[in-house]
Amino acid sequence: MRKNKIKHSVLGNIGDFIIWLFLLGTAALILVPLLFMFTSSIMPAKEIFKMPYPWITSDFQWENYWNAIKGPDGDFMYLRNILNSFIVASVVTITTVLLSALTGYGLAKFPFKGRTFVFLLIMSTMMIPFEAIMIPMYMVVVNMGLQDTYAGLILPFLTNAFGIFMMRQYLITFPDEILDASRIDGASELKIFWRVVLPNSGPVIATLAILTFRAQWDNLLWPLLIAQSDNMKTIPLYITRFTAETHTDEGAMMAIAAIASIPMFILFFSVSKYFVSGASLTTGSKG
Amino acid sequence: MARKRKFGMEHNKAKWGFIFVLPSLVFFAIFSFYPIFNAFYLSLHKKNLLSLRPPQFIGFDNYEYLFHSSDFWNSVLATTIFALGTFIPLLVISLLLAALIMTRRRFQKFFQMAFYSPAVLSSVVAAVIWLLVFDPRGLGNQFLNTLFNSPGVDHKWLATDSMLRFSTMLVYFWKYIGYFTIIFIAGMSSIPSQLHEAAYIDGANRWQGFWRVTFPLLKPTVLLVSVMSMIQCLKTFSTQYLFTQAGTPSKPINVITMNIYNTAIRDHRIGRASAMSVLLFVVMLFFTALQIKSSKSDDVSFM
Repeated sequence: MRKNKIKHSVLGNIGDFIIWLFLLGTAALILVPLLFMFTSSIMPAKEIFKMPYPWITSDFQWENYWNAIKGPDGDFMYLRNILNSFIVASVVTITTVLLSALTGYGLAKFPFKGRTFVFLLIMSTMMIPFEAIMIPMYMVVVNMGLQDTYAGLILPFLTNAFGIFMMRQYLITFPDEILDASRIDGASELKIFWRVVLPNSGPVIATLAILTFRAQWDNLLWPLLIAQSDNMKTIPLYITRFTAETHTDEGAMMAIAAIASIPMFILFFSVSKYFVSGASLTTGSKG
Repeated sequence: MARKRKFGMEHNKAKWGFIFVLPSLVFFAIFSFYPIFNAFYLSLHKKNLLSLRPPQFIGFDNYEYLFHSSDFWNSVLATTIFALGTFIPLLVISLLLAALIMTRRRFQKFFQMAFYSPAVLSSVVAAVIWLLVFDPRGLGNQFLNTLFNSPGVDHKWLATDSMLRFSTMLVYFWKYIGYFTIIFIAGMSSIPSQLHEAAYIDGANRWQGFWRVTFPLLKPTVLLVSVMSMIQCLKTFSTQYLFTQAGTPSKPINVITMNIYNTAIRDHRIGRASAMSVLLFVVMLFFTALQIKSSKSDDVSFM
């Protein structure tokens, strides 16, 4: 009996060891390309393709970052494009949060005729993939004369069904007593939304904000349709253009990639909890 | 009097509810419902992007053209291969990783963060990194040649059809593996630990604990994740676009979204692109319906 137990635990230890090894190995494989991006961004091109790859360079090339920012035409378009990305992503995030919260609040707390229908109507838009309607959407924006403008980049994303769904599910359980108390105090409905509902929805708002900001930062297809001039391009477009035009300057290419990723990594390490909640929420709520 | 006042309040509430919902409704009308109907409408018409002529009705000609177009079928094939080749490994390995992480008492957080970190990058950045890894002189060849002890062999990551397809799958797999692992971990964490404890008391080992307790209860999550990842894979664009822009052959990775984009923007054929969009929409609708159906019938209750 005792012998059996010892044997079992030895076996268990071996199994344990294999699991650790497997997890660590997988983590290493997943992290290697990231490490490659950061290390090669400060290397001269000839070291990037040296065999074996020298993980730490002896010849720091900070010029890569300078070249990345300066761009192939020397017009510092990168800075303009990164600013565009920030403007578009921020405006979309703020409006999406506000509009989703407002609509979600209306659907959760205000009974009106046809409310269920409106809710289902909004939910049904989740079944329409962006990729399937991008061309007609593009025609709408062109007909509005908004091609190559910030408005054109921003307008189609001002709110989304999933955000409304998230806010509604959260606000349904919001205590009515608090809302009624504010009403008795004479606060207007808009003021209640602004002063009571929004400040008490912190975690959902943070999750939605991060989901939205990331989706916009990552957006390639829509700006590809809308942004014609270099001035209006966003980061994904700049990276694509730089890669297509000068894919011999590998160091600068990696520097561009690194700079574009840094804001996201900062966000990730400071509020990783909301990244995780965003990922798990997509199943938790729909399931 | 009191009743009248109450009625007034209800009326007032209905008014405000409608006011709060209206902006989003207007928005969805312009940017969701109108475009989807317009996609159907344009798909039955001949319309050139640059010409000012109104769309000309041609019935199902666009669809008929697509069914005879080898370029379209090539895209269907490329998309299908990509979707199947990506979502199955994603599903299996993220489930495995999640199950293994859940057996650890320590470093759970570390592994989740490490696996998730590529998902933080934008997809264009991910594609650029791998573009250099796949270079003939790059890390990809170095890694395989060290593994198989075959110095100097070029595995032609971006040159042959099948390797190019495989490379795009690898990029996608790398980027999303952590995302799905986290979803599975969330699903597993919601299973009450008493169920496992009860199973262990009854003499089950870990393996049985997983297959007999965790897995059956996780079925809805598995179904959901498979449909979700399938839908995501059908929409893939960024990696393929960046690779072709960098000069790889486009035929093997000319996925449907890229074909729609090129047909509309490069060839100016709005009608034909719309017909493709409608077909894509129908296929995705099928999977979404499947998802809704599966999530309803397979609800697990822990009570």
